[in-house]
Amino acid sequence: MIEVKDLQKSYGDLIAVDRVSFSAKAGTVFGLLGPNGAGKSTTISCISGLLKPTAGSIAVGGFDMVSEAVKAKATLGIVPQELAIYEDLSARDNLTYWGAAYGLKGAGLKQRVDHILNRIGLADRADDLPKEYSGGMKRRLNFGCGLVHEPKILLLDEPTVGVDPQSRERLFDLVNEEKAKGTCVLYTTHYMEEAEKLCDELAIIDHGKIIAEGTLKDLQAEFGGNDIIQLSGVFDVTLVEQAVAELGAEILSVNTGALMIAIRDGARNLSSVLRVIGETGADIHDTRLSEPNLESLFLKLTGKELRA
Amino acid sequence: MRFIFITAGKELKRRFNDPGGLISSIMIPFVIGFLMASVMGGGGGQSSLNARLLVTDLDDSFVSQSIMRALSQDQIADVIVLESVTQEVGDQRINDGDGSGHLVIPKGFGQAWLNREEVALELTVNPSQYVSPRMIREMLESLLDLGDYLHKVFGEELKIISNSLGGDELVGISTSAFSSNITDKVSGIAELVFPPALEVEDVTPKPEGTTVGMALLMLPGVLVMAAFFAANGQSSNFWIEKERGTLGRWIASPNAFYSFWIAQWFTAMALTAIVAAPIMLAGFLYLGISFEKYFAALGWLALTGPILFAVLSLIQVLSPSKKAGGMISTLIMFPLLMAGGSFFPTETMPPFIATIAEYTPNGRVIEPLKAYLIGEFGASGLFSNVLGVMAAALLLVLLSGLLSARKALA
Repeated sequence: MIEVKDLQKSYGDLIAVDRVSFSAKAGTVFGLLGPNGAGKSTTISCISGLLKPTAGSIAVGGFDMVSEAVKAKATLGIVPQELAIYEDLSARDNLTYWGAAYGLKGAGLKQRVDHILNRIGLADRADDLPKEYSGGMKRRLNFGCGLVHEPKILLLDEPTVGVDPQSRERLFDLVNEEKAKGTCVLYTTHYMEEAEKLCDELAIIDHGKIIAEGTLKDLQAEFGGNDIIQLSGVFDVTLVEQAVAELGAEILSVNTGALMIAIRDGARNLSSVLRVIGETGADIHDTRLSEPNLESLFLKLTGKELRA
Repeated sequence: MRFIFITAGKELKRRFNDPGGLISSIMIPFVIGFLMASVMGGGGGQSSLNARLLVTDLDDSFVSQSIMRALSQDQIADVIVLESVTQEVGDQRINDGDGSGHLVIPKGFGQAWLNREEVALELTVNPSQYVSPRMIREMLESLLDLGDYLHKVFGEELKIISNSLGGDELVGISTSAFSSNITDKVSGIAELVFPPALEVEDVTPKPEGTTVGMALLMLPGVLVMAAFFAANGQSSNFWIEKERGTLGRWIASPNAFYSFWIAQWFTAMALTAIVAAPIMLAGFLYLGISFEKYFAALGWLALTGPILFAVLSLIQVLSPSKKAGGMISTLIMFPLLMAGGSFFPTETMPPFIATIAEYTPNGRVIEPLKAYLIGEFGASGLFSNVLGVMAAALLLVLLSGLLSARKALA
């Protein structure tokens, strides 16, 4: 449903997106994961036709976004990162207007609007102006405006930024419902828990480039079956680096207050790790053992934390 | 095309959901127009711009009656309506704001004037009026100047006439000597005053019927002022939609970007009609204009008024930000309102400004409407240039669309 090949977007000398390629299929959620400023929104803006690519090609629903823009755009539903709703129109009027923008009319449009109002949980406030809504309610309306015309492809650009936990769960439900209906969902986020929870396939993007791509299992395999041990406390970095090397483990990050290592069979080796690190004179306050996750993967690939 | 009208409908709904802007677009021009018309002497409908002068003649002499007669002459009576009152009534009416001025001719004024003794007329003017009291004062000063010249030339004869009033014969001089004296003096100055060296012929075409009141002259300008205010609010919509992200959602939809601008143009038409309709209704009722002209006048405004939206939109999209656009368009709007004839009718302007007014966008809307309301031409004449104004507006709107496309995505 979405085919991106060698997409490049430059602003003068600044390359915001650098030869990005990926594909997303119908009935799946494809996650684009990366820190703020990595190029996720620029990529999604090119896919939605808001920005013209400097190079490369984008096809959505089988239509080229440059040469067949009208047909391509008709297949898309957009949920932008920033709210894109009329605060001086009721929720019902907002949905009706954006439904009409994609050609819905008459009884079909009305039914669809009522359906979406129920799905986003705003049926009882449908005729109120959004300026009277909470932030989470506005987010849900923003989401509904992208869904109202039943798009084949849904582009979600960080849809949960600033959303309360209750609204976030409702948005996750909506995404899963769309996926179950066969919609292709492209989901950008810098929250790894969301990506892990929702996405069937992922691409990790940093500095405009895709640095890893695959299913969650594929990406976890990058660690070769290693577990992650995270320690917090007071550390001598030089001594800790020597001690971890003797253990045959891999340091993912270390500073005077925290240490993260990847080690095979972490549960069995945890006592050895604590002993060796303790012998360096470290004062260990807290210990956490986990399977590799996207955060640790990102750390391994880029040497920096995802939320930095 | 369907979605353009849906968008225009959506825009109108947004305005009605936040009616403050619409109400101020109606009320501000209404109040300004009312105040300006009042300050400039008011006058409604087809009546003339008259000042009402209350006169108390305590002297009741030949001289005071001559002043009264002079003020009642046809040409002066066109602008000053004279009304004799007692001093108490005159004072009371001026205190009540009823009348432009109260002139008291004191007892003994005539005799004092004939004897060239110091004497004064008492004029109390209505402080709530501006133009009419000035007209009265200037008229009286001119009259007194004329009287002074008369006194210098015919002072003795005037004394004789004054003394002889009530009798059958001139007192103190023979009739033949009196006549001969006057004839000699007139002959002596005749070369200076007859015939006049220059003759001024007024060739300005006048509408048939009665003269035109200030309020009627101001009405088209006030209506266009309302359209201007509505257009100013609407013209910033590009920036508002950009800030709110809805413009991005539009661009991501399958609809062409220029249709956004066409929809704004249609919205401006509807908004112009909405803000002009109540003001026009009030104006027609107050001025007694035939309602046969109402819909043609409203139609003209609705179709041509968006030229103002087009101009302001272009300013907005050429500006680097919403704030700058708002400032620049406001800076341009008020001089245009002044020069284009919304605050002052072109008839009251110096000729060079009136000429400029003809070429302002609002002047293009105001002047044909004014001519139609006055009766200089009919509805067909009014609409003879409607396509030209609409085409100019559409061109500017499309230019705004072209220039804003890049900014919309920035």
